[in-house]
Amino acid sequence: MPILGPEGKGRTLRADAWRRLLKNKLAVAGLIWIVLVVIVAVSADLWVPRYLGDPISIDTTTAAERSLQPPSPAHPFGTDQLGRDTASRVIYGARVSLLVGVVAVAIMVMVGLVAGAVAAYYGGWWDAIIMRAADVFFAFPYVLFAIVLLALLGGGVQNVFIAIGILGWPSIARLFRSSILSVKEMEYVDAARAMGAPAWRILARHIMPNAVSPIIVYATMSIGGAILTEAALSYLGMGVQLPSPSWGNMLADAGSFMFSAPWLMIYPGIAIVTTVLAFVLLGDGLRDALDVKLKD
Amino acid sequence: MLRYVARRILQMVPVFIGVTMLLFLVRAPAIVPGDPVRMLAGERSVTPAVRAAVTEKYGLDRPIYVQYYRYMGDLLQGDLGESYQLKRPVSDVLLEKFPNTLKLAGVALLIEALLGLGAGILSAVKRYSFWDVLVTLTTSILVSLPVFWLGMLLQLIFGVKFKEWGLPYLPVSGVSGSQFPALVHLILPAFTLASVSTAYAARITRSQLMEVMGQDYVRTAAAKGLSGGQVIRRHALKNAMIPVVTFLGLDLGAMVGGTILTETVFNWNGVGLTIFKAISLRDWPIVTGGVVIIVLMVMVINLLVDISYAFLDPRIRYTRVAK
Amino acid sequence: MPPLLEVDDLHMHFFTRDGVVKAVDGVSFTLEHGQTLGVVGESGSGKSVTALSIMRLIPEPPGKVVKGDIRFKGESILAMSEREQRGLRGNRIAMIFQDPMTSLNPVHRVGRQIAEPLRLHKDMDRKAAWAAAVELLAEVGIPQARERARGYPHEFSGGMRQRAMIAMALACGPDILIADEPTTALDVTIQAQILELMQEIQQRTKSAIILITHDLGVVADMADNILVMYGGKAVEFGAADDVFYRPLHPYTWGLLESLPRHDVDDKGALSPIKGQPPSLINLPPGCSFAPRCAYATRSCGDEQAGLVEMEPGHFSSCRFAGDAGFLAQFENRSSYLSDYAQRDSQ
Repeated sequence: MPILGPEGKGRTLRADAWRRLLKNKLAVAGLIWIVLVVIVAVSADLWVPRYLGDPISIDTTTAAERSLQPPSPAHPFGTDQLGRDTASRVIYGARVSLLVGVVAVAIMVMVGLVAGAVAAYYGGWWDAIIMRAADVFFAFPYVLFAIVLLALLGGGVQNVFIAIGILGWPSIARLFRSSILSVKEMEYVDAARAMGAPAWRILARHIMPNAVSPIIVYATMSIGGAILTEAALSYLGMGVQLPSPSWGNMLADAGSFMFSAPWLMIYPGIAIVTTVLAFVLLGDGLRDALDVKLKD
Repeated sequence: MLRYVARRILQMVPVFIGVTMLLFLVRAPAIVPGDPVRMLAGERSVTPAVRAAVTEKYGLDRPIYVQYYRYMGDLLQGDLGESYQLKRPVSDVLLEKFPNTLKLAGVALLIEALLGLGAGILSAVKRYSFWDVLVTLTTSILVSLPVFWLGMLLQLIFGVKFKEWGLPYLPVSGVSGSQFPALVHLILPAFTLASVSTAYAARITRSQLMEVMGQDYVRTAAAKGLSGGQVIRRHALKNAMIPVVTFLGLDLGAMVGGTILTETVFNWNGVGLTIFKAISLRDWPIVTGGVVIIVLMVMVINLLVDISYAFLDPRIRYTRVAK
Repeated sequence: MPPLLEVDDLHMHFFTRDGVVKAVDGVSFTLEHGQTLGVVGESGSGKSVTALSIMRLIPEPPGKVVKGDIRFKGESILAMSEREQRGLRGNRIAMIFQDPMTSLNPVHRVGRQIAEPLRLHKDMDRKAAWAAAVELLAEVGIPQARERARGYPHEFSGGMRQRAMIAMALACGPDILIADEPTTALDVTIQAQILELMQEIQQRTKSAIILITHDLGVVADMADNILVMYGGKAVEFGAADDVFYRPLHPYTWGLLESLPRHDVDDKGALSPIKGQPPSLINLPPGCSFAPRCAYATRSCGDEQAGLVEMEPGHFSSCRFAGDAGFLAQFENRSSYLSDYAQRDSQ
């Protein structure tokens, strides 16, 4: 097992993993798609209202004649029942999804890392309490718990972050804890200790880099999961509230027009699937790229 | 073995207490929006007399731990309280809807087991073939699908479009009384519910089987003269299935909890839909009651899965045997 | 009478995305009843692939026998149908592997695994096969065989597991037992026991043994013939005495020289063979050992002839092996002979 020594070696290993990732065509495709979505979503204000139409406000004069139009050059994804351009709403919906994905997972990871690290490094009482708490969370079916939590906290995007973050920390904590525990036992940690390295140094230089890899993979895939959860919650009316578009609440709306205007349902759905798939593929690719390093 | 089971059951208790505590706090008047007295009073206008009566009856003026104690006491006797809206015992309401959810989840599990395992095995055995690629792609996509969207899509295609195109079509909701036999109504919702799980099951089966097939003892089996099929059936499968079966078990728990989305899309009258409706009506006893039941079921299923794991893997069963 | 086993200029290549791996690139030897062949070489020399090729356990694709033949009792194994090959495996030709922990199925009882080849090849029913398995366990020296047979692999110690594997391989009374590094994963003391067991069994059953190892010491006692492999090729083959006393290839010299010796004063350094084994995808042209050979000349880079009989029954692939002057270089530099002679006389 190679000892992760000073800066130089660490950088090379990361570069190695990066190179391996780039070789994976599917993962790269996922990454590209994500970057595209991010660019489109972030720049939306600059061009969407002008070229596609405002996602929220209704132009009452033209609303009637513009409502429920099938896809056309002027409206690539068609229009909804209030005359709003669907493509525009899908793009603004992307903002919500990405925001939720990133923020919720960030919360989850931060809480989880701290909890996992504390449990692993201090053991004993701390370990017992944290792991029991995790067990309690695990006993709840995910979606149900999310719904109940949101019912309490009320709807709205911020609460969605919090809910997903709360639901997700136990998995990260467990993963991180077991990573640390197994790495702690490995020979190169003993070697470092034999060299006289102090505890924090061992933790930072040797244990963390290796323990962090599974977390990176899990976090990436969790972003996809968070997007799905947000969509489900918004669909049920508990997440983003109308008229702000979210992929989930667009689908809820589309339900009533499923038979007459199927495009309302199809495009947001495709948006969800492709974006989540991109994260899943990226996560898979990261797992392979980082794993080989560990096998060495 | 018995000690193992006893230990696991003991571990369940604090978790269960933690869960109910959490749920109870959720119910506590201070946290939940809305005045419980008004909700409990129902149609009656809330005069001071009524308020006093309701408070007395439900012990709302007692300290919270006393309320919790009463709640747990009732719980253990099977009393989950009374629905605000329906004025019926929660346990009755839930028991009524329960079989529907079980039917749905049961059929979904069956689909998941047959399709998922089958696809996974096929994919692992014929590695890198057309099948393998197809399965891998399909599962990746399925895992990224929002379940409710899939439901809507299936409704659109099999319920509406097929009808338009003159093909045999399927009913789009759980509402009975149509010309279809009850079982047919199950088809679309069950497939929807099963979809994501099937994808995971296929993936796990595939990776487990592939890992097992690379093991030395599989090579030994071949060296003894067993044919390819015999090697897989007698040696590889049993080892690979251990984690897969445990996954299926755990997934059943997740599925029961997750029926809420599918039931909503298909208007299927099960526990999930009931809980959801109760949330919009702020009928907390049903919500907490429903969640408690589901959580209990999930925990029992997890326990059974743990036990079966010990049963299937002799390394766990026999670690105590002296040499 | 055709030889029991004849490997004739075998070339087994793997066709991978990164290129063609010439795992076995020209190996020939013969084996007779009751003989022990020691196959010696470094990791990656092609020893295991050769053994697996004999058993026909190499998946094709990506493997493929591009040249050569393997004949069992005169009949070509390569030409046999899949069913016929399976009929040989575990039955007439059996194999035991390096790591007994991972080579036994953890979820089946040991007795059942030993009984399996009997039920498969000898058509025995469950009871009879189980009884035979218990007896086999006893024969390989496992105490309380009846109880042990009902146990699982993880309940056995390393040495016992290897004995169980041997029992499994011997179940059908094979003509050839191939042992791929049977002792490498075991403690030194157990190693000796296992080798002793194998010798004992061979005396009883008269099976031929192919013993694959990287450890010359292991082979010294047991082998009748020795095959030395390097870079996928056979570089020397002959009777054990011939190979040890009059090695005909610089690689063999290197192996013998690098043996730690206990009759010499400890102050001396060990003399390993310098350099790394070649990549099997990019084999250098000509003799594959030349880059590491202390005695190489320019002509070593030319096309090589393969194994050539230099003395009766003693083959070498070194083109200078017939030159007495060349051979003298080695004899002058080492006196490992006393070590070997000591062992020989025991």
